[in-house]
Amino acid sequence: MRRRLLAGAIAAALSFGWTAWTGLPAATAAPAGALPTTPIEHFVYLLQGDRSFDNYFGTYPGADGIPPGTCQKRVVTGTDSGCVKPFPLHGKTVQALGAGTVELDNQYDEGRMDGFVAAYQNQGRDGSAVMGYYDQRDLPTYWGLANRYVLFDRFFSATRSGERVNRSYWVSGSAPPTGSPAAVAADYAKHLTIFDRLQAAGVDWKFYVQGYDPRQTYRTASRTTPTTQPVRVPLLNYPRFLDDPALSSHIVDLSQYYRDLDSGQLPAVSYIASNGPSERSARSIDSGQQLVTNLVGSLMVSSSWKSSAFLLSYDGSGGWFDHVKPPQVDSQGYGMRVPALLVSPYARPGSVNSTVLDYTSALAFIEDNWKLAPLASRDAAATPITAAFDFGSAPRPADVRFTEPLVAPASSASVALVFWCYGAVLCLVAGLVGYAVVSSRRRATGWRPGPPSAPGRTVRALPVRVKP
Amino acid sequence: MTSDTEPASVLVPAPQRFYGAAIWDEPPAGPDSQADRPDPRWRRLATGHRLRTALPVALVLALATFLRFWQLDRVGFNSDEAVYSGTAASLAGNDTLRSMFPVFRAHPLFLQILLSWGMHGELSDWSARAVTALIGVAAVLATYALGRRLYDHRVGLLAALILAVMPYHVVVSRQVLLDGLMTLCATLVLYCVARYVESAALPWMLASCALMGATVLAKETSIVLVGGLYAFFALTPAVRLRMRHVGAGGLVMLVVIAAFPLALSLSGRASSGQHYLLWQLFRRSNHGRLFYAQVLPAVIGPLVLVLAVLGLVLLRGHNTWRERLLLTWLAAPVAFFSLWPVKGFQYLLPVAPVLAVLAARTLARVSTLAALQERGRALAAGAGYAVPLVVVLSLLVPTWSRIEPSTSRTYLAGTGGLPGGREAGRWLEANVPATAQLLAIGPSMANVLEFYGQRRVYALSVSPDPANRNPSYQPVPNPDLSLRQARFQYLVWDSYTASRSPSFGAKLTALVSKYHGVAVFTATVQVGAKSGQPVDAPVVVIYRVRPT
Repeated sequence: MRRRLLAGAIAAALSFGWTAWTGLPAATAAPAGALPTTPIEHFVYLLQGDRSFDNYFGTYPGADGIPPGTCQKRVVTGTDSGCVKPFPLHGKTVQALGAGTVELDNQYDEGRMDGFVAAYQNQGRDGSAVMGYYDQRDLPTYWGLANRYVLFDRFFSATRSGERVNRSYWVSGSAPPTGSPAAVAADYAKHLTIFDRLQAAGVDWKFYVQGYDPRQTYRTASRTTPTTQPVRVPLLNYPRFLDDPALSSHIVDLSQYYRDLDSGQLPAVSYIASNGPSERSARSIDSGQQLVTNLVGSLMVSSSWKSSAFLLSYDGSGGWFDHVKPPQVDSQGYGMRVPALLVSPYARPGSVNSTVLDYTSALAFIEDNWKLAPLASRDAAATPITAAFDFGSAPRPADVRFTEPLVAPASSASVALVFWCYGAVLCLVAGLVGYAVVSSRRRATGWRPGPPSAPGRTVRALPVRVKP
Repeated sequence: MTSDTEPASVLVPAPQRFYGAAIWDEPPAGPDSQADRPDPRWRRLATGHRLRTALPVALVLALATFLRFWQLDRVGFNSDEAVYSGTAASLAGNDTLRSMFPVFRAHPLFLQILLSWGMHGELSDWSARAVTALIGVAAVLATYALGRRLYDHRVGLLAALILAVMPYHVVVSRQVLLDGLMTLCATLVLYCVARYVESAALPWMLASCALMGATVLAKETSIVLVGGLYAFFALTPAVRLRMRHVGAGGLVMLVVIAAFPLALSLSGRASSGQHYLLWQLFRRSNHGRLFYAQVLPAVIGPLVLVLAVLGLVLLRGHNTWRERLLLTWLAAPVAFFSLWPVKGFQYLLPVAPVLAVLAARTLARVSTLAALQERGRALAAGAGYAVPLVVVLSLLVPTWSRIEPSTSRTYLAGTGGLPGGREAGRWLEANVPATAQLLAIGPSMANVLEFYGQRRVYALSVSPDPANRNPSYQPVPNPDLSLRQARFQYLVWDSYTASRSPSFGAKLTALVSKYHGVAVFTATVQVGAKSGQPVDAPVVVIYRVRPT
């Protein structure tokens, strides 16, 4: 950890110096790509939206799920008006809760984690829905992947903020610039992302955007023409990623991901932002799972699988209940615990990993794997996701049917019955045929063969009626 | 047509029948006592005769073995072979194949149990086919025994020779099919019935019925042969059939057959067998009424058929219960499968030894034809060798061409291996995740790919209607939706199924196009082009597909 911090400080200083001297991030130069330090040659990171760990995996066996006896008070202070227990959401449709910094802070309640329902009750809304949770019936894809690969049960969002801030941490390890539009634009010009590092190191990368529209950037977004694309894709807030063809050409539509897999051209680092199937609403959970099924399934049957890792996590809890108090690592966070899954031929099979992680843990892994300098203090201090891998073992074959529950091998007891039944009757057949042969010989031994010149003898007495 | 009288056979003079019977049925007594010790003169003669008798039989068996083992695994399994070998592998404990080829699938398991002994290690085409090829050679020997028992050594030898080179028997013996074992057992049943008719001894009745039960355990459709036996005894009152023997024999047969339903019910899979039976009873016709008349004469041998019929007609004065036994045995399956809507190339294989014996009976009498005798004994003797030679050559040429790998892009089930299937399956095993799922046009290619690739393969043409599909197969009610949901990662096109089911072939091609199919494997066969030069034509193509 100390070494990572020291290296991060030196790299950040060098990077800042280079940026200050040239006025541009070090990214535009593209030397030959560095070789990875682990067998992972392709790292894919999909960030979905607004789910807490307990909302998706609160009842997953072996994980730190919803504790028994959990009941969230309807009001934090004042007259006790009862509490809400966790309940399954299977078959129920609930509206997206919508959680901003205020709601999340109220839910956190200075670390007491007792305001999940009250945060909404205080606003005159029914907050009981936050206690709902999904299970295997609703999430066959995610539970199936957890059964076969790695589920993280200490993976936190970066801050108790909204999607925009968390996604900034996703790519840069820090919060996005704030202030006047001019100041923000100037700050973004200096704000480094992992893709600047990769570009500078000559490591191939792509940012795949579902339903990508290159016209929708921070420049076109306004109150009158709102667009979520720059929020989902933080790079679209950076002038250089829009104006420099060497960088902007790396932001492509998601369909290119499948074509790259088909052609064996999957880059070293891929980030994916979904659109409709983002799982923020109950309605989009199924389509979100289908998206993950397609992304992971296509990766599994591609030539890249044997050297790849696919990380799925969520850009915030969305207001859903989670019982684990996030560690305080700096003034910004961590935020609430979110679901996270690692799918890789090197992922420890069917394991639950409890290392404390956040989005910058993925950045730390990328930096370690391709020998890049950290971007900010958060990723410099973050624990990489490396412990979830088992690089000492050979890569595992892909399990494409990950949406199906694991089944125990069939019993071979019925096979033994087949051998007994058939063996017994075939012995009977052999015995009866043998008996017939032996008995006919016995009958024949009553007759003694003589020399060829002996008088003719009856060899067989045929029971055939002779007509008179 | 036949006569119940049999003056020549009732009492057989020893010099005529002595040696054959002595060699094969009544060996000299052992040297237990001085009195039992055989005469040295007799022993020398017997040894010489034994060699003269055994050598031609050994040569015929060697020829049969050569034709059945020559390049035995040059072409991979077809669908039926894959199913039976897959079931055998399941019996041997292969868990991967057990999920695709359940033990309780359709047929009884006699052959599969025999095959399973060679399936404990690495799956081998050759070892599985070697079992059925050996069974085929054994059937040639059984045909010899039958011909010799019913007539004489010469007829037995000629019958064995005909069967040894008959394309029908050679082609089916070289495949892992149930029909070869069924034919061997059925021929042994005939032999035992002949022994029973000759001896009226209960042991031979019990042996006949036990073997009949084993025949049914080899393949359940052979139950129709019981009808042939019934017809024989019903039409041959000269044979004294004791009810005590019939009752005991029937009981033995039922006990033997009971192994199949007993294993099913003890394993809790009785419904599997019932579903399959119902489907078989009501399934749609797969070939025209004249299928056998169009296909079989060429593979049985036109000359063999002509000789068999000629013998029955020209030698009608000599016809006895023997010909009646052979004819009723032959008529039952021919009548049944001609009327039965479901037809298969190999279904009538049990009649092959019977036809071989009937043809051999005629051939054995060629040298005694009066027309030839009048022109001289040498000519008659020469004809006695030349005509069989012509018959054998007329069989050997098509047999040789049929055991060479096919260069056709179409395929008739049961006529041999399926070019390209094994290669495609092995490519799957090496390159595709174990849990990947594929969609083929039809279940035949799906079976082959499942066996070699050990990957789950569904078929587009399997009907969602339970009444119209083999219960062993799972339908894909909405292939479009399944592909959108990424349930299938690969689509498989093959020329054999596409030529049989053009509409499903076109549907699969449309799915390939819609779901961004990329050809990742192609198996080809060499076919003649218009230019005369052989060109590679695709027979199996595997496409990787993705939903978006």
